[in-house]
Amino acid sequence: MIDRILNIDRRYIFAVIFVVVVWALMADRPIQVPISSPVQDVFDFMERVAQIDDHPPTILISFDYGPGSDAEVQPMALALLRHAFSKGVRVAGMCIWETAPGLAKAAFETVAPEFDKKYGDDYVFLGYKSGGIAVVLNMGQDFSLAFPADAYGNRTDTLATTARISRLADFDYVITLAAGNTIDQLWVAYGQDRYKINLGGGVTAVMAPDMFPFLQTGQLNGLIPGLAGAAEYEKLIEHPGEATAGMLAQSWTHIAIVLSIVFGNVAYFISRRRDREV
Amino acid sequence: MSVALRHKTPLMLAIGLSMFWAAPKAQIEADTSVVSRLAGFAVPADLAAMDTPNDAGASITVIWSKAPTAPAKTNYEVLVATEPHGPWFLGGKLAVTGHVLSDEPAAFGWNADSLRHFLNVSEYDVNSDSSVAIEDDRTYHFGLRVVADTDTVVFTALSASAEAEANWFNWAKLNSLILGLAFTAITLIMIGAARKDPNLYIRRVAGLDALDDALGRATEMGKATFFVHGLDGMSSISTIASMNILSQVSKRVAQFGTTLKVMNRDPIVHAVSRETVHEGCIEAGRPDVYKEDDVIFVAPDQFAYAAGVDGMIVREKPAAVLLMGYFYAESLVFAETGAHAGAIQIAGTDSFTQLPFFITICDYTIMGEELYAASAYLSREPKLMGSIKGQDLGKVILLAVLVSGTVLATFGFDMLTRVFTNL
Amino acid sequence: MLFLRRTFPLIIAFVLGSFGAAQYYIPAPWSQATFRDLVYISRIVWTFALFLGMYSLFSLHIGRMRRKQAGWGYSGLVFAAFGITFAAMAWNSGGLLLSPLRPTELDQWFTVRWMYTYVFAPCDATMFSLLAFFIASAAYRTFRARTPEATILLVAAVVLMLGRVPALAMLYDIFVPEFLRTDWLTSLVTDDVRQLTEWLMNVPNLAAKRGLLLGVSLGAIATSLRIIFGIERSYLGGGGD
Repeated sequence: MIDRILNIDRRYIFAVIFVVVVWALMADRPIQVPISSPVQDVFDFMERVAQIDDHPPTILISFDYGPGSDAEVQPMALALLRHAFSKGVRVAGMCIWETAPGLAKAAFETVAPEFDKKYGDDYVFLGYKSGGIAVVLNMGQDFSLAFPADAYGNRTDTLATTARISRLADFDYVITLAAGNTIDQLWVAYGQDRYKINLGGGVTAVMAPDMFPFLQTGQLNGLIPGLAGAAEYEKLIEHPGEATAGMLAQSWTHIAIVLSIVFGNVAYFISRRRDREV
Repeated sequence: MSVALRHKTPLMLAIGLSMFWAAPKAQIEADTSVVSRLAGFAVPADLAAMDTPNDAGASITVIWSKAPTAPAKTNYEVLVATEPHGPWFLGGKLAVTGHVLSDEPAAFGWNADSLRHFLNVSEYDVNSDSSVAIEDDRTYHFGLRVVADTDTVVFTALSASAEAEANWFNWAKLNSLILGLAFTAITLIMIGAARKDPNLYIRRVAGLDALDDALGRATEMGKATFFVHGLDGMSSISTIASMNILSQVSKRVAQFGTTLKVMNRDPIVHAVSRETVHEGCIEAGRPDVYKEDDVIFVAPDQFAYAAGVDGMIVREKPAAVLLMGYFYAESLVFAETGAHAGAIQIAGTDSFTQLPFFITICDYTIMGEELYAASAYLSREPKLMGSIKGQDLGKVILLAVLVSGTVLATFGFDMLTRVFTNL
Repeated sequence: MLFLRRTFPLIIAFVLGSFGAAQYYIPAPWSQATFRDLVYISRIVWTFALFLGMYSLFSLHIGRMRRKQAGWGYSGLVFAAFGITFAAMAWNSGGLLLSPLRPTELDQWFTVRWMYTYVFAPCDATMFSLLAFFIASAAYRTFRARTPEATILLVAAVVLMLGRVPALAMLYDIFVPEFLRTDWLTSLVTDDVRQLTEWLMNVPNLAAKRGLLLGVSLGAIATSLRIIFGIERSYLGGGGD
């Protein structure tokens, strides 16, 4: 019996996780989301950007993730856009990942109508640009060289949002939402290091520990880690969304995994004692 | 240049103001005789201009003394002209609380003072809609204006001139260059030493030692060995390192006569893998064993690659799975599927985020630089072994610097910290 | 021929590798522009190599279909999926020059955007969601306190899993009655476990990562030097001198 428990068919474990997640997603129960300092830092910096009065505050959001990270990172994108639009901050969106444009467009199309924001005047989608490092370098030196037109063919110097942008450092805040290595290998190494931009990040939970060194050195002035970070940001902007809804499921899943680990260890110790007695 | 300061009555100030505000915003006529002193505010006594150091050109740095006290909301405005007496255009603004020389050690050194402000001017506004970039090798003249509370203007008669030029060397990165050259020298010296004494010791790497066992197991069971490349392209060091391992693996598999299937996500890696496996078979004296279809370009998309490889693992149940390269989220998908298929798994990656998954699930894990040392470890070639020893020596030196730098910094001596700071 | 296969690539590797290292220290416009152009060239080469990869993929699946190997139907599916996606891309919602007819119903679904949103994105997300199940089964199977090191790993993993999400606070709200709640207990489940989590992430975890990073960085420099000086030649597609 103990041996069967120790070597249980993994499909039972999958079934338990499935039931827990479905039940938690269907349950309508509020959950407290404490705010961590890296997320607070992003929020505070956005608030400071919104206070700028000598020019229309404009931020750049780089959507560098694919559909696989949609569940974790898309809520961050929506929360950031809601925060920016609610404070009158203009947003330019771009993609360095080839599978990101669909998600970026969906984010703008979801949030912009909520605030009656007008394309061109309040936000611009620049589209996907291949080249990685070259794109960041070009933007750092001459924005119109990197993006002469937006994703729809409009010249960027004719759009109110990007008309005054001549290079990357003209953006008041650059936030990169990443599921890969674009933060450390592109934005920090080339954007922040060379052009001294104000850089914030949003990453999947598994990548967050890798970003802490950049937080400590100040190369990143804030970080939104994973679904929990997205839920914290939704709480800060007082607009609970998908991330807050997912926190319940995530919390119960973590509890289920911890309980299964404890259960497995109990069975292990029992089997070890049995083997010693034998 | 000389500075002229005169006290002005409020009436004269109003006249002066009206002269400024009547003019179009961008093109400002500088009246060097109109100077006013704000109560308690000392107008900067000097102004200097120089080419911005360590840049690609088209930028001039303007420096002036910081005022000991200043009214709230006071801004400095740097004015630019192509002729000594104007017309003047706005080149940039800096708040009176703005950065000083000591805030930018990359440009001014670690011992720069905090008594002077600076502003890098790369363009100036000719009107409200357009600006003109600074050109290299052209003389520009600079003036300084102080604006306080939007209704008081102070203009100094100071001016300075300079030319911008592109710099050939970034002196702020000199420490990095010296350290890089030093490490290169150490590596080359150790390679030379290894040529003279080929019997260099490298500690055992369990994952690399287990390669033969894994391939032997596959041979005994009559099943295939899967070699799964990471997601990065050929420019990634980990991919190059994994190619070294593939070279050795393909030779041994050819000798044993078993099947090796190589999974690729990048087309260039796929092309190199084909050549590597082919060469391995030729070197083993078994060119007939090579099958082009066994080196597979699965898919360029991350999870399509994971799905394709997993499908093959589940259907063909290989005896050994070698996961080598830089992995992302799909690492757990590979490892768990391989574990479920009953394969012996050896993973090698320098991806910090995926190492925990491999360590918990795979039988052996080659971590970080152990992967880079694979070529030397498996081939035992003196030149390669020498570079590993050079790398180790570099690490010893860094550790010594780390310890001594920590001790010195604790007592307030940060010279060692500065040497290793990347500006 | 040997010059083109062996010596010439080594010369290119040396020249471009040395330039790539040098341009980091040379801010002049010609240096940065050349570096950018090299990055563009590598992207163009990658795109051409993609055709090679596609040729390999197609020849593999055609071979499977010809030989009617097990699962050859899936190979047919590969071609069908490629064909449909390519056709949608070429059709481009009627932007294709040779298509005089534009049935509007077709525009609603026969677009690359529709396929991305309703086929590709769900498939990608589904594969990613497998991780949740796999991590659960992997954790059950492998997180056993067999050795002291494994026990430390186990305890750290449990603390992190409970500290990264408000799980403990949630259980506290549900299962602990009001009369049993004390300040220190409330602080333990809300603040203390979070602080412990952050300490684990910011101190021991970061220290280990920095140690790995030091080693990996030096290893990468040494490997790069070997490639630049022609000592490492595996990237040529075959070992040996």
